[in-house]
Amino acid sequence: MKTDTFPETSNKRKKRFTRNDWMGYLFSAPLIIGVLAFAIYPMIAALIMSFHQTSGLSVGGKWVGFSNYNYVVQDALFWQALTNTFFIGIWSVLLGIILSFVLASLINNLNWSTGKNFFKAVFFLPNVVSGVATTLLFSFLFFPSKEGLLNFVIGIFGIDPVGWFTNPQISRYSIVLMSLWGALGYNTIIFLAGLQSVPRDLYEAAEVDGAGTYRKWFYITIPYLRPIFVFMLIMGTIGAMKRFTDVWLIGGTAGNPGGSLMTVVLYIYRNAFLASQMGMATAASYLLFIIIFILTAFLMLLNRRKDSLD
Amino acid sequence: MNTVDAKITHRRKKISLNQWILTIVLFLGSFVMIVPFLWMLVTSFDWAARLHINFPPRLWPEEPSVRTFEAAFTSIKMFRYITNSIMVSAGVIIISALSALLSGYALSKLRFKGANIVLLLALSTMMIPFEMTMIPQYLLFSKLGLVDNYLAFYLPALNYAFGTFLAKAFFDQLPTTLREAAILDGAKEVSVFSRVYLPLCTPIIATMIILLFLGVWNDMLWPLLILKKATKYTIQIGLAMFTYNNGIDKQPSIIMAATTVSLIPVVVVYMFLQRYIIESIALSGIKQ
Repeated sequence: MKTDTFPETSNKRKKRFTRNDWMGYLFSAPLIIGVLAFAIYPMIAALIMSFHQTSGLSVGGKWVGFSNYNYVVQDALFWQALTNTFFIGIWSVLLGIILSFVLASLINNLNWSTGKNFFKAVFFLPNVVSGVATTLLFSFLFFPSKEGLLNFVIGIFGIDPVGWFTNPQISRYSIVLMSLWGALGYNTIIFLAGLQSVPRDLYEAAEVDGAGTYRKWFYITIPYLRPIFVFMLIMGTIGAMKRFTDVWLIGGTAGNPGGSLMTVVLYIYRNAFLASQMGMATAASYLLFIIIFILTAFLMLLNRRKDSLD
Repeated sequence: MNTVDAKITHRRKKISLNQWILTIVLFLGSFVMIVPFLWMLVTSFDWAARLHINFPPRLWPEEPSVRTFEAAFTSIKMFRYITNSIMVSAGVIIISALSALLSGYALSKLRFKGANIVLLLALSTMMIPFEMTMIPQYLLFSKLGLVDNYLAFYLPALNYAFGTFLAKAFFDQLPTTLREAAILDGAKEVSVFSRVYLPLCTPIIATMIILLFLGVWNDMLWPLLILKKATKYTIQIGLAMFTYNNGIDKQPSIIMAATTVSLIPVVVVYMFLQRYIIESIALSGIKQ
């Protein structure tokens, strides 16, 4: 039954806008205002700014065409930031997906439901901890001298203290480790929800054909969960491209040690709010957006193409 | 018969051995997840660790004391930051949840002209990363003179497209006949929404409150841009600025005490609503 056939509104049907339509816009007004003012407007403003030479905090300025983009593309620091972001991102996304999938499979195979809930809760706990708290905690656990907990543990095996966050060769791996601790539980929970959705009869059919646990895992579970894998890749990639809080707290706006923790968002932040180069910073943010967009589209395509193959 | 029985018991034994191995592996894994928290707690109560990390690591504080927490509350203005964070979180939660519920209701039940365009607009902007729009947003608020003003949190809270999406999906499951009956009885649209549908929405409201609370309480980037005065700092930016200015790995026990305090609200919420939070995350993950 359509809403505009009500007795009180039916005689107004000839009007272009019914009472019902007005009510709809009234109810949606907060959302519409929010989307227009804090999503659409800033996107357009950023695009305009990226083509202008801005001074200080003003939005306008002299039209300079693509020269902001040119500057960013030719800036060695931008490429360093992009490389670091990708490096940390690829390691943390891939390791995160593999580990959490294994973890979810282990938890799912547990017959003991109290245990299941307990492990779910424990592995997810770091996920509610803020980036600031995680980084502060790990700056002590990863303390560069022998006093640090991780150095103490590897010291038991006779390994010399490692400068986890002070050695530019290692700091990016340390960030990966730290983000694994924080993010593992999130992926695990989503994989678990997925694992429970795999139809039981698929397994039963495979058992009839004599498939063992591992074969079932490889030939049924993994293919069935492919959309979830793609979802994780997309969400993980988007998240990894936006890395800021931890690297800013550890290495400041220089991305120390030795620029190894300079990321793209840190580069944007630094140019916008330290150097007041808003035009250049918005150009960099558009480049970041384009990169995220291409990566996301590529990953989605990957899923679709494989779908049509089977 | 005998061989079948033997086979079954054999199989059972094998399964329970597997279960034992699984449980042990998972316990070792959870130990690794928990150790950082234990270290944080032990250090936060250890007055001896106020200048240096204890070596070797301890299972119990060397000088157990709550003076570290007193120091955290005096040298870092924790009380003020927590109050500020509560004000920001409460405002954002109320505004975002209301905006999402109202628009979700309109999109699901009113089916007004252009509803699909509104929905499409909201969903497509969900993809835009905040980092893309933060510079113009910052400039907008600084032009409006709203730097250091919590309106810079409350106004953007209107845009909670993901919540709209959740709420619309939820309203879609509720029968439309409720509204029709109420309207025939002469009820106003607002009271149909607030008296008839809102009481049925507790599950989705709870989900939104949890997701919003975790998001706002833990956010740092926007507060870093918009809050300049220390008296306005939220807990995350307060902690971050203190360590940023004093060195991130100095004063272990005082920093850890402050960090522990900053975690109490989320961990308490998590302990009580743990299953609910996990369900919400799984739901939001799958829906997204």
